Amino acid sequence: MAYRRKQTTVSFFIHTILIIISFLCIMPILWMCLISLKPSSETMSGIHSIWVSDPAFENYRRLFETIPVLQNAFNSIFTTIMGTVTSLFFCSLAGFAFAKYKFPGRDFLFYFVIATMLVPPETGAVPLFVIMKKLNLINSLWSLVIPRIATAVGIFYMHQYICDVPDELVEAAKIDGCKDFMIFIKIILPVIKPALASWAAVTLIARWNDFFWPVLYLRKQVKYTLMVTISLLPVSEGLSTPWPVILSGTTLVIIPIVVLYLLLQTLQKAGAMAGAVKG
Amino acid sequence: MLQIIRKNKIPYLFILPFFLLFFMFQLIPTVWTFYISLTNWKGIGAPEFCGLENYKKLFIDNMFWAALENTVVYWISGLIIIMFLAVVIASLLNYGHLKGSTFFKTVTFLPNICAAIAMGLIFRMLFDENAGLINEVLKAMGIGKVPWLTSTTFSKIPVIILNVWRNTPWFTMIIFSGLLNIPRDYYEAATVDGANMWKQFCCITLPSLGNILFFCSITLTVDSWKLFNESYILPGPGTSNTSLFQYMYESGFNIFNMGYASAIGVILILILAAISVVQLIARRKQEKI
Repeated sequence: MAYRRKQTTVSFFIHTILIIISFLCIMPILWMCLISLKPSSETMSGIHSIWVSDPAFENYRRLFETIPVLQNAFNSIFTTIMGTVTSLFFCSLAGFAFAKYKFPGRDFLFYFVIATMLVPPETGAVPLFVIMKKLNLINSLWSLVIPRIATAVGIFYMHQYICDVPDELVEAAKIDGCKDFMIFIKIILPVIKPALASWAAVTLIARWNDFFWPVLYLRKQVKYTLMVTISLLPVSEGLSTPWPVILSGTTLVIIPIVVLYLLLQTLQKAGAMAGAVKG
Repeated sequence: MLQIIRKNKIPYLFILPFFLLFFMFQLIPTVWTFYISLTNWKGIGAPEFCGLENYKKLFIDNMFWAALENTVVYWISGLIIIMFLAVVIASLLNYGHLKGSTFFKTVTFLPNICAAIAMGLIFRMLFDENAGLINEVLKAMGIGKVPWLTSTTFSKIPVIILNVWRNTPWFTMIIFSGLLNIPRDYYEAATVDGANMWKQFCCITLPSLGNILFFCSITLTVDSWKLFNESYILPGPGTSNTSLFQYMYESGFNIFNMGYASAIGVILILILAAISVVQLIARRKQEKI
């Protein structure tokens, strides 16, 4: 009996802590959404700020007047989608070669790929800017896509997955006269769909939230991604952009990715992203 | 040699994109950084060789030491707080009789998908001295206003909180998947032997997580040394919040002192390389045991 009571106390305790943690996780996001709907007539400060009596979309209207939202959103969507699709294709292609072919220097090259993860490319930002300038890619969205077409983490992740695909599947296709590239397209890609899905989710989120590279390579407002424009919002009207307008900008950036994440969560089994590696 | 390549041309062709890109956008820039750091290049004109001039300047530059110190503060604080919270939250999520575990897992992962820049702007407002929600709550609790981002004493705290808030979920998830791999029998046997929860945690959970915790701390370390977004969007007075990586960016692209920025880049590369070597040695030792 005492044991049962102790169990109930422990259970209550654990649930309470988790509810508090969940609250701390959602609170800033909810607060942002609320403030972004506040008309400028209502007070912004204090506890009262969490009560919106008359929700309005005027902040969003002002946001659209301040910055070219649609153009910047297009830039973000373009780099995110292009980046994810190319990265999925080339990472799984290389992962396939490492997992299912025997060729001289394979293990060495694979360890080499992993070793390249240890020094992040960000440290070479100065020469990278010069290289991009030489390639005429400054102010081009491709500068965000091309360098990360094939990433070491992506290859590593895909390799782990493709190793689990039975060799017989590949052998059978070869005997049937299927060429190497067609094996990849017709056999491997359909089999590793779950891996592609979770890697796509990780890459999508990472690319959408990307800030350092866009701020380095994109130097014109029409070329900015959403992330760069909203980072400049506090100074865009000579330091006078009101908070609700800034928060409507951050809402535009955060909510799509939250919705996408929740959709993916309901589509996939919970925890399918577990085991994925950082993008 | 050519024969080998011709015979295996297909797999080589498949992995070629990575190596081309690595060569172009990682190897060349890294080597080039070393070279530029020995010149006084200003972004235009021909770079002029000046030996170790930049490093000498770095050594007596207070802003550089401040940035280095800030980065170490972010690193150590992140390592301690994030690892602690991640282990605690993962253990809570792993509780056998947890109701609504899918909900809790989804919600506690949410911070990780929110952009650091956008959250930084929100935190800037939450931590505002006069109208921020945090100070209002503190006032209601009887503690006075805290000048979060306007005083050198407190300005790092919002950055650290943002860093912890956003990055803990990632490590929680990794540690949680590690917890799932510990057989339940261990705990049942321990319960039969009369070990309490704390004892079980210390004698079963922590040792089983050894490798994963090690992996997490290395990832966290590398991430901390290239921290940029959080300190960029939550600036304190002067250089009180500047991270080393941010200082490199600002020297290079605000003041156009490319040589100097590259010298900072080289220091970062050396620090990260040193961390990798430590990691390799630790791995070796573990394998021997």
